Amino acid sequence: MQAAIGHAPHTPAPGDHDYAVTGIDSRKLGMWGFLASECLFFGALISSHLLYRSRAPEGVHIPHDVYDIPYTSVSSFVLLMSSLTMVLALAAIQRNDHRRLRIWLLATAFLGTLFIGGQVYEFTVFTHEGLNLSSSVAASSFFVLTGFHGVHVTVGILWLLSLVGVSLRGKLPAENHLQVEIAGLYWHFVDVVWILIFTVVYLVPNTH
Amino acid sequence: MAEEEAAVATEEEPEQTPEQTPELEAGDPGQAGLALVLLAPEHSHPSPTKYVGIAVFLAIVTALEVALYYITMPEWLVVVLLLVLATMKFAIVAGFFMHLKFDSPMLRRLFVTGLILAGVVYTIALFTLSVLV
Repeated sequence: MQAAIGHAPHTPAPGDHDYAVTGIDSRKLGMWGFLASECLFFGALISSHLLYRSRAPEGVHIPHDVYDIPYTSVSSFVLLMSSLTMVLALAAIQRNDHRRLRIWLLATAFLGTLFIGGQVYEFTVFTHEGLNLSSSVAASSFFVLTGFHGVHVTVGILWLLSLVGVSLRGKLPAENHLQVEIAGLYWHFVDVVWILIFTVVYLVPNTH
Repeated sequence: MAEEEAAVATEEEPEQTPEQTPELEAGDPGQAGLALVLLAPEHSHPSPTKYVGIAVFLAIVTALEVALYYITMPEWLVVVLLLVLATMKFAIVAGFFMHLKFDSPMLRRLFVTGLILAGVVYTIALFTLSVLV
């Protein structure tokens, strides 16, 4: 029985109040439920963009005309690498290595900030090209989709920085690694959503 | 300083001692069942080196996606390949970085349900509105 348990840093004990009869921490179960609902949220935004991405008045750019694929590719790479630093932060706290935990959390927040900075720059360029929230349905659907994603990334950055603060105050012991894991789940989800947005919105040819 | 020492000590002994199995009261099938659920096996997460390897692989797949954007090919083939690569990246991040591959199957079912629901609902909607045909 013991051999089957394996690497379980916080194996719940029967009666532990954070654990439902499922054996899964309620906070983690709640986060996964939230992420499942977010699939529908972002699914709606991506579908709306697919539906409207070619609809613009005569003479007005659609987003596809002004995409800078090399630039967005670098942004995507930055966000992808932030998932690596996030998972390394979790691995660090599970090893009780708080210094590396803070380094990786800060690195993740930095990469996220870099991504957001890139998005702000991209929006600025698009605005100079005549695209804005009200210039066409295509532009609206693009800005709403990528804007909501950007808001999610920003929330994630604030969450990570708050974890760094909690850790600096010494209130994030290794046995509370679930707090980092849950923040990580949110962060990785934001990353996988961008994987889809980058492919479906930016790379898939627009022929309609 | 104390944290660094603790980290060094932990790195020297990376294997954690499995926690003790709680004593089960004989003749209490309810408690025994609960304990079996709570103590379901948790597989080891990948090592940091493996995480780096996965990230390198994801970066290569991303480079492939960008290359596909520039290569002249039939459009349907580009779309299919892009979707396959994106799905692969999605699955790898969810499976390894989010630990869905190692965690409770219940979490996998919960997330996949949301994913499939979203996929089916919006695919039907887009087909109905003639976006995908």
